[in-house]
Amino acid sequence: MKILIVEDDQPAAEVMARGLLDAGHTSTLCPDGLAGLEAARRGSFDVMIVDRMMPCLDGVGLVETLRREGDETPVLFLSALGEIDDRVAGLRAGADDYLVKPYAFAELIARVEALSRRRETGSVLTYLRVGDLEMDLIGRKVQRASREIDLQPREFQLLEFLMRHAGQAVTRTMLLEKVWEYHFDPQTNVIDVHISRLRTKIDKGFEHPMLETIRGAGYRLDA
Amino acid sequence: MPEAPAPPSGGFLRLFRAAPFRLTLLSLALFAFAGAIFMAYVYMAAAGEARRRTDAEIRREADSLVAVYNRAGPAALNPVLVTRMAGERRFVYLFLAPDGARITGSLAQSPVENFTGAPTWTRFSLSGPGVAGRPQSIPARGLQLRLSGGETLFVGADASDDRDFIVTIVRGLWGAGTLLVVLGIAVGLQASRSFTRAMTGLTDVVTAVRNGNLAARAPVRGAGDELDQLAEGLNDMLDRLDRSMAAHRHAGDAIAHDLRSPLTRLKARLDTALLDAEAGRGDARQALGQALDDTDGLLRTFSAVLAISRLQAAGEAPNAVRFDPAAMVRDMTELYGPLCEDIGLEIASDVSAGLAVRGNPAFLAQALANLVDNAVKYTPAGGAVRVRLRRMASGEIEISVTDTGPGVPTADRDRVIQRFVRLENSRNLPGVGLGLSLVAAVAEAHGGRFELGDGPGHFDGSGPGLRAAVVLPSAP
Repeated sequence: MKILIVEDDQPAAEVMARGLLDAGHTSTLCPDGLAGLEAARRGSFDVMIVDRMMPCLDGVGLVETLRREGDETPVLFLSALGEIDDRVAGLRAGADDYLVKPYAFAELIARVEALSRRRETGSVLTYLRVGDLEMDLIGRKVQRASREIDLQPREFQLLEFLMRHAGQAVTRTMLLEKVWEYHFDPQTNVIDVHISRLRTKIDKGFEHPMLETIRGAGYRLDA
Repeated sequence: MPEAPAPPSGGFLRLFRAAPFRLTLLSLALFAFAGAIFMAYVYMAAAGEARRRTDAEIRREADSLVAVYNRAGPAALNPVLVTRMAGERRFVYLFLAPDGARITGSLAQSPVENFTGAPTWTRFSLSGPGVAGRPQSIPARGLQLRLSGGETLFVGADASDDRDFIVTIVRGLWGAGTLLVVLGIAVGLQASRSFTRAMTGLTDVVTAVRNGNLAARAPVRGAGDELDQLAEGLNDMLDRLDRSMAAHRHAGDAIAHDLRSPLTRLKARLDTALLDAEAGRGDARQALGQALDDTDGLLRTFSAVLAISRLQAAGEAPNAVRFDPAAMVRDMTELYGPLCEDIGLEIASDVSAGLAVRGNPAFLAQALANLVDNAVKYTPAGGAVRVRLRRMASGEIEISVTDTGPGVPTADRDRVIQRFVRLENSRNLPGVGLGLSLVAAVAEAHGGRFELGDGPGHFDGSGPGLRAAVVLPSAP
């Protein structure tokens, strides 16, 4: 995956690029908003990581300009002093996701990969399939190896999100944001319990467990 | 309170430049103009009245003389005139024959020139004995008539009483006008002096604050007028600014303090891991994993401290919207449902419909999650947690979490809301002691309050429980 990093903090950007490279993604670095805008216009990127506070042209201005020009590349917004108003401003400008510094690196990778996947599946899906796990989004039915699995509404949403991001790590914060639509840091293992219930339902009685826990990051659903 | 420094320019000059003084002068000029018109009217009315009175007397005297003439002829009029000239000083007479020759009279010749025969009024001067025997010119009026036999009769009268009357009136008017102007200027000066004093107080404060002295406050005179309101507003603004800056300073200090010990711990862990790795002992990956967990905790602490400081400094919730908290209360109850079930707690929500609060949903959700979290953490298995949304008797909206845990002793309730305070019996539980401080900060930022109270009481060997409530104003 090709990623554009627009970040004025050079060491931070380099660490980010190295981490992304380890995860199999190449990145281009731009030290300010204007350079970022030019790079974005020239090349085609799968995801852009844009810092909020930058010299020349700040993150909000950059994303607004790109969106006006019809560039729909997914953007992950970074903000050093994250607060709710920053999040709202960033998302209103056209960013697709938002991450507050300092962040866990696993969180960044997970969100970047989630964004790229989102673009690939732009059309409306009615049916999801990961390995032998199948989800009918219209009939609200889930089957694994042709065995019907009965899920609560929230468990269904949780599994849908995991299936849409199959093969990627998703973090607890992401799950609380995307499934419950609340933006805060879950304090205890409250999400873990929901996951373990889901895991019991989809993995119990099967030889191969699909839903695994990734230390320091979150969870991953894999065939 | 620092003494107000002397005004930069001359104090008296400043008085004249002050806005109220100019206003006074303007109103004084308008008033004087109206007064002049009024005085002119009074003057004209009074003067006219005096003249009419004199003219009426002259007319009456002339009428009586004409009556004598008509009844008895010129021969009878003459002795009457002579008698009257001798007796009365008020009138002067002149009686002329048809050919213009003077028959009798107290005047040498008529003041009327070009007499046509029609009754004619005239204004003339009499010379009379003045002060210290000097002859003096006295104003007079007269009427000249043609009698039926062709003779001419002139009757005049001293009009000096009229003049005296008018002079008195004019003098009175001048006196009143002068008094008015003097009083007006005095009032204007006084008003501008007190205004200038009050304004000096305000501008001095602004100057002091601009120069970095945030402790300067404007004097409030206690008059309760606009200037006092302005001074109070200014002081209130400065108080808030001061508090906000103090909160920021405090936040910086607190963050530094709060992060020092976990960072020190992290460093020690990494040091040990490095030593172990060099010596070929232990599992470096496990140590790194633990260090990563420590970092996560550090970040959590960091963001909590930051959120609390932000809320306290801002004094209000960012991006506040009006919303019904019912869904949020149900969502949080649902979020914690499986966890409660796993550890043997019963959790339920009790939600009143159709309520509205004004606030930031994310912060309020976080606060409620912290309360449920707290209840779940401290309530022993077999207990119950109840989340409730209702309108209180006072009209306020209460979002509360009640549990059947050990509760918090009354004496400790204020303390647990403070940052990083954890009670003795909770040392072995996870958490950094910021949860309730954040709840309190959120409640205050929403114009509400955070209450800790008794739970449902003792039963089955548990209790007395804790009721933790965020009480918010109801949104109109």
